[in-house]
Amino acid sequence: MNTEKKLASFVNWFTFRPKTSGYLIFIILSFFIILISLQRFHMLKEDKQREMSIILNEIHENIDQSLKICQVSIVSLALTINDDGVSQNFDQVAKQLIESNNIISLVQLVPDGIIKNIYPMKGNEAALNLNILMTPYLEQLANKSMKTRAFYFDGPLKLKQGGIGVVCRLPVYKKNKFWGFSAAVIKLETLLKISQSNSFDKIKYDFQFSNINPLTHKEEFYLPTKIDSNTNNYVYKKIPNSDWQIYLIEKKPSDLYLIIFLRGLLGISIAIAFGFFTSKLLKNPEKLKVLLKDQETKLLKNEMKFKTIFDQATIGFAIIDACTSNFKEANNKYCQMLGYTFEEIKEKGIANITHPDDLEDSLLNLTNLEEGKVEEYSLEKRYITKSGKTIWVNVNVSPLWENYEKPTTYIAFIKDITQKKETQALVEKSQSQFKSLIDTIDGIVWEYNLETSSSTFISKKVENILGYTAEEYMSSPTFWEDHIYPEDREFVLRISTIVNKKYKNHDYEYRMITKNGRVIWIRDIVNFVYENGIPVTGRGIMIDITVMKEAQKDLNNSFHLVSEQNKRLLNFSYIVSHNLRSHTSNIESIISLIESAESEDERKEMLTLLKSVSNSLDETMIHLNEVVNINTNVDLITKPLDFRKYILKTQEVLKEQIQLNEASIIVDIPDNPIIEYNSAYLESILYNLTSNAIRYRHPQRKPILTIKLHKEKDINVFEVSDNGIGIDLKKNADKLFGMFKTFSNNADARGIGLFITKNQIEAMGGKITVESKPNIGTTFKIYTK
Amino acid sequence: MNKKTIWVVDDDAIYQTIINKLIQKSEAFSAHSSFTNGKEAIITLKKMLGNVNSLPDIILLDINMPVMDGWEFMEEIKMIKSKIDKHIIIYIVSSSIALEDKNKSKTFTDIVGYISKPVTIEDLVSIVSNQ
Repeated sequence: MNTEKKLASFVNWFTFRPKTSGYLIFIILSFFIILISLQRFHMLKEDKQREMSIILNEIHENIDQSLKICQVSIVSLALTINDDGVSQNFDQVAKQLIESNNIISLVQLVPDGIIKNIYPMKGNEAALNLNILMTPYLEQLANKSMKTRAFYFDGPLKLKQGGIGVVCRLPVYKKNKFWGFSAAVIKLETLLKISQSNSFDKIKYDFQFSNINPLTHKEEFYLPTKIDSNTNNYVYKKIPNSDWQIYLIEKKPSDLYLIIFLRGLLGISIAIAFGFFTSKLLKNPEKLKVLLKDQETKLLKNEMKFKTIFDQATIGFAIIDACTSNFKEANNKYCQMLGYTFEEIKEKGIANITHPDDLEDSLLNLTNLEEGKVEEYSLEKRYITKSGKTIWVNVNVSPLWENYEKPTTYIAFIKDITQKKETQALVEKSQSQFKSLIDTIDGIVWEYNLETSSSTFISKKVENILGYTAEEYMSSPTFWEDHIYPEDREFVLRISTIVNKKYKNHDYEYRMITKNGRVIWIRDIVNFVYENGIPVTGRGIMIDITVMKEAQKDLNNSFHLVSEQNKRLLNFSYIVSHNLRSHTSNIESIISLIESAESEDERKEMLTLLKSVSNSLDETMIHLNEVVNINTNVDLITKPLDFRKYILKTQEVLKEQIQLNEASIIVDIPDNPIIEYNSAYLESILYNLTSNAIRYRHPQRKPILTIKLHKEKDINVFEVSDNGIGIDLKKNADKLFGMFKTFSNNADARGIGLFITKNQIEAMGGKITVESKPNIGTTFKIYTK
Repeated sequence: MNKKTIWVVDDDAIYQTIINKLIQKSEAFSAHSSFTNGKEAIITLKKMLGNVNSLPDIILLDINMPVMDGWEFMEEIKMIKSKIDKHIIIYIVSSSIALEDKNKSKTFTDIVGYISKPVTIEDLVSIVSNQ
């Protein structure tokens, strides 16, 4: 128990220190790895050394063997020396030795240190008679050999005869007395070649050969390979009976280090990874712990927040038990809304605060919610507050149980919308007011969407004005243009297109056809409504101006009539004043002349003149009277008249003139020439025109008159043509029918006939036209209506 | 004072008789001619263009006349004016009291004055003396 606890706390210690744990693991692992690596290194190193020693031994063996051959040879050579100290059969023995041992390049005998016998002599003459004991270097060596009385290998040294060689000397004693040396020379080259004959791996190893200089006691190397005494990458061996050492040097000692280093590195990496993962792994629980704490804090905060929201929210909250419908909780706002305290609300229950009219609806919704028919619901209903006031609220109810659970509680959000409701009612009222106002406008109010090019509104007045209902109007997109009076359609659509492009407010008048086919005048006032600077809607009002238009037309007609009459009246007054004045002025003059008359004859003459003025005045008065009669004759009696009878009557009256001037009258009229006219006027018109035609006859020809009657567009038209002198219409057209206008010097011309004729025709509602060419003739045409 | 030549252009025969009497009585004119319309007068005038002495000094012109009225006569005068070597004084003499006619007479620079009928001896004398 206690140990377990200790273990647990121990584990915990690590668990809550992930970094430290990771670090520790890393250090421990690294330590072991380094340890193993080092051991491994040593093992490898030893292996290597062993391997190298074996190789070196082999080489040593080779050299040793060669040297032994050499020793045997010089011993053999020494044996040639007899007791007298003279060599017998030197050349023969030497020859044999050299031939049998190809490593020996030459043999010699050196009695008393002086080289006496050399074989082969050829090429080695320079060494003959050389006293080696006199050469300091050689002397020392020779002495050494003498002291030990054994073989001694000398060199490698420069040979007197050239080249580098190893000299093997054997001091020879005869009767315990130093005689000299027996020596053999092996060329260094040959020695080295032999030593390396057992081929070792030259890629891996190098070979070195050294000698201790007897003078300097320093080691001298004979091969180019360098030996770094600081490194441990070589093995060496001393060759007996000489100062020689041979070396085997590893060429790439770093290989070993690299391998070990790489392995170590791998190991360290694994250790790092281990440490990292351990700390990572151990961190998780710590994180979880932090998270937990964090969540805890958050939860606490949220709870507080929600509590605050619940209490201080601007909308009402209530939590209600689904089974009992009792309030479980309600926030301040909810209580405030109703004016009750929470305890009071709890006591009262939902049913008692809900407006009786809305109770059924509320309960139905709740039932639906409980049965799972709806997931939530929203309802506008009324509450009755403590003060008895009715308020409108929007209730949003959501269940606080899951679908598969039994109903527990639900939450209700309640918003006071009394003001909104009131505003809405106001808006609705003003909208309906607005609408009824639009409908009372004495014109069709319309609205047109410019984007969709379609009518969006037409006021009810369309039924009063056009006879079509608003629905009928809206049913066709081209209703408006289809009902424009055909004559106006083109210009209306043209203007409409132009203004719709320019968005220019305008106002124009045109005609439309109503449902019962009546043509009415419309004044259309068009405005454009802009939204964000872009015109979106065309709006306007079409006013029925038919009555106004007709009144205007009547007014125009009246104006025309009045101005015509006025003109005639002015003309008449002018004529009257002129004509009467011309007479009165004459009378005045005559009277003054009578007064100042110098003789009775003169006075008589003036009186005669006065009489003629009086006659002429009388005549003028008659004419004027006639004219006035025509102009004041408002109710003219018309009846069907036989046109033929009136022609005959005229001919009868003018019988004398016709006969006198030998005039002929051609009558071209239908079989039944009945015209509706005033009898007196027809008689007068025919008389005036016929008498004029005869009066203004051409002096060089007999007058021929033609009287025609025909119909033009259902109107009776009669013509009186002549072949008379004609009238220059260019000059006289405006005066032709004027009063007292005459165009010739004809004495009978009074200038009243055509004036009266014109007035009579116009009084009948017709008109008179004239066509004439001087010297050809004149045609008067009378339209009876 | 040299006596003047006067022409009277008017279609009213009674007026012509009266003016004839008045001219005689005024004793202010050396010669007097009557024409019943403008055309007669202008034809005569054109015939006399070469003869300065026989051209009239004064013309009394009526407005309302058949064939050629006073205004047409004035238009004709305008056209031959450059050929007339004499300064002819023209008076409109009319029974019309219409303002229209009076105003129209002012548009002709050659018309010196407008006399409403009846014409008196005093009128004739002042025409001559004003010249």
